[in-house]
Amino acid sequence: MNALYYLIPIAIVLVIAAIWLFFWAVDSGQYDDLDGPAHSILFDDEDPAHTAAQKTAQSTDNNPKPND
Amino acid sequence: MADLSGCYHCGLPVPAGSTWQLEVLGAPRQFCCPGCHAVCQSIVDAGLASYYQHRSEPSANPQDLPKVISDELALLDRRDVQEDLVRHEGDSSECLLLVEGISCAACGWLIERHLRQVPGVSEANLNLSNHRLSLRWQASQAKLSQLISELRRIGYAAQPYQPDQAAQQLQQENRRALRQLGLAGLLWMQVMMASMATWPEFNIDLSADMHLILRWVSLFMTTPIVLYCCADFFRGALRDLRTRRLTMDVSVSLAIGVAYVAGIWTCFSGNGELYFDAVGMFAFFLLAGRYLERRARERTASKTAQLVNLLPASCLRLNASGASERVLLKELAVGDLLEVLPGSVVPADGVISQGQSSLDESLLTGEYLPVLRRNGETVHAGTLNVEGPLQIRVTALGDASRLSTIVRLLERAQSEKPRLAELADQVAQYFLISVLLLSAVVAYAWWQIEPERALWIVLAVLVATCPCALSLATPTALTTATGTLHGLGLLLTRGHVLETLGHINTVVLDKTGTLTEGKLSLREIRPLAALNPEQCRSLAAALEAHSEHPIARALGRGEQHADNVSNHPGLGLEGCVDGQILRIGQPAFVCALSGCAIPQVVQDSGQWLLLGNQRDPLAWFVLDDRLRSDALALIDTFRQRGWRCELLSGDSGPMVAELGQQLALDAALGGQTPAAKLAHVQALQQQDHKVLMLGDGVNDVPVLAAADISIAMGSATDLAKTSADAVLLSNRLDSLRHSLAVAQRTRTVIRQNLAWACLYNLLVLPFAAIGWVTPGWAALGMSISSLLVVLNALRLSHQPALKEQP
Repeated sequence: MNALYYLIPIAIVLVIAAIWLFFWAVDSGQYDDLDGPAHSILFDDEDPAHTAAQKTAQSTDNNPKPND
Repeated sequence: MADLSGCYHCGLPVPAGSTWQLEVLGAPRQFCCPGCHAVCQSIVDAGLASYYQHRSEPSANPQDLPKVISDELALLDRRDVQEDLVRHEGDSSECLLLVEGISCAACGWLIERHLRQVPGVSEANLNLSNHRLSLRWQASQAKLSQLISELRRIGYAAQPYQPDQAAQQLQQENRRALRQLGLAGLLWMQVMMASMATWPEFNIDLSADMHLILRWVSLFMTTPIVLYCCADFFRGALRDLRTRRLTMDVSVSLAIGVAYVAGIWTCFSGNGELYFDAVGMFAFFLLAGRYLERRARERTASKTAQLVNLLPASCLRLNASGASERVLLKELAVGDLLEVLPGSVVPADGVISQGQSSLDESLLTGEYLPVLRRNGETVHAGTLNVEGPLQIRVTALGDASRLSTIVRLLERAQSEKPRLAELADQVAQYFLISVLLLSAVVAYAWWQIEPERALWIVLAVLVATCPCALSLATPTALTTATGTLHGLGLLLTRGHVLETLGHINTVVLDKTGTLTEGKLSLREIRPLAALNPEQCRSLAAALEAHSEHPIARALGRGEQHADNVSNHPGLGLEGCVDGQILRIGQPAFVCALSGCAIPQVVQDSGQWLLLGNQRDPLAWFVLDDRLRSDALALIDTFRQRGWRCELLSGDSGPMVAELGQQLALDAALGGQTPAAKLAHVQALQQQDHKVLMLGDGVNDVPVLAAADISIAMGSATDLAKTSADAVLLSNRLDSLRHSLAVAQRTRTVIRQNLAWACLYNLLVLPFAAIGWVTPGWAALGMSISSLLVVLNALRLSHQPALKEQP
């Protein structure tokens, strides 16, 4: 039973920490978009075609295109 | 996956003989137009072709997006224009853009990926639920106009967006609601653990010390729930008591407040029962219900609350020497001379000082055909110049223009809109009165029998009858139904629609764009010479390919090509196809070329155009605005419900009366101004008609705001969409029919829920009154009744069986 004397304050501190974390997350806008992140994990950011195109894009930026 | 038979990019049908083709994802793909082809080409070039694998909806057709004028984009780079829109921090700039053309989640991925590879862009985050893109870039390496054109290249239109006060407040409220919900949830669980240990059902060998500590711990953790999370309930209750109304808020506040105060007393005195966990549970359930409702409403509202862009952002002003320069709309002054090119919107009210052209005034009047305006005549802000260039002298700007009188009418109509009391609040009223009376009786009875138990019995009665299930009954049903209706293509933007639908007995419809398709279509070709109809159409289409007039779109595309096409505003077009000179347009104008007599017109409905060459007239083209194919079925549905159907149109032509007869409407009035429409609907409302309005134009806007329920078509103008209670996104009248059925089921479910919640409270009351209900039993009973209500509401998420109806 004596353990409760330690456990109750620990539980309270943990809850306060959790609430602080939650409030911080809400206020920094992490819950503003509840649709986008659900889908974004499905897309492949490291698509080889895309990385290749990025490289060419970067090299063409160094030598600007005549029609720009 | 997108439909393979249509355009690979936008899904629209590919016209025969289209040569637009591109190899994407290892297969050749067809495109409907050069616009789609170019967009797809840039996506593929950026290595983002897997967008096409991931998307779940076809993309927007680039031609449907608002037009971009490159001078206008360049204006955005001016420092004084950027002032309110862009935040600068040294070299890094930050801006919020509102993006149009987003159809599914893959669009978000495409936009973010594409922009992040533009040199100078350090951050691009798209919020998929409200279509706002937040951008951060280095001003020395990229310009805002450049980034917007980048977006354009992959098929999206964007404009800088400045969150107004209302939008900011909404965001604050959303975050607060979520914080309240989260806090209530986290603390409730802790409170439950602490206070459950003190219940006799669970209490095995709790020492007196520990009992005391647990009581104080639960008080400590309940206090934020009551003071922070439930503040809105108390505030609402105070407001309602001041206006002498008994609502759900009063009822909830009473239960929470009494349970909390009694708990404090128990903490100090050490006897009695703790209801803190019940307080937490009420708070969490009620907040969850309200949060879900808020989200369902918000999601829909933010999608329609695009910027209300009736006027262009900039226009061409002529200076003293006659040269034109592009200036912002707010830089204009009365007396300025403006140039309005064909295809652009008139930015201010004014008088034509040079030129003549047809103007599409459908925005203001509902007339679907462009009207010819000559030198010296007045033009209005918001109308579209269709044919020739015009010079106008500004006579009225901003608040003084005719357009803003409509906006003022709208504001007046909104403030006068009648409100119907919500069913749940009506029930709550009776419920609360009976609970209070019963508690008084119970208190009196126990006072006679056992005075020291009286307070705890009354508290048990109040907690056991807390209308938790009752107040979840409506929000859960509305939330689920809103989701289902969204799937059907009807977007609810205001909460009261589903409930009010039950009281409707009159429908007022607009004609152009609502019952009809709102654009001219070719009904008939009557050849007068040897050519067959298809040859005539091809010749006419070749001529009209050079025109922006709605007639041109009705004639479709032709394979032939016309040279030397000249536009005679108000008369027609002249041009040369395969060596023969042709004219199309007004009969007199066409016959003047050949010198023949004007052929007889057989009937007078619709728009009759003549095509002729130098020798003789070739063919009549009959054009009119076609009735939507599902209009008749919709009117039938209305009539089956016993609703009165009326047609109110700004169009003064004979078509209004014809349509009224064809659809057997109860009334059909033409030539109505926005003010007259508003007066008519308000008169109906005074005769106790509850009006449902279906419309689309700016001229319908005041009526939409005044009607008990208003539904705007998906193709409607922005202003109409924002002032309506619901938007028919699918643009099909059929989905409105199905939505009516869903609304009916929703009302049934709400009634069932309310009935069940009341029944539960009635059942538990006698047990509470004889003192059998302990905090544990109260918690169990409440959870079960709330759960039942939620499950019942979830039944609405099933799509109705659409096929059983013809």
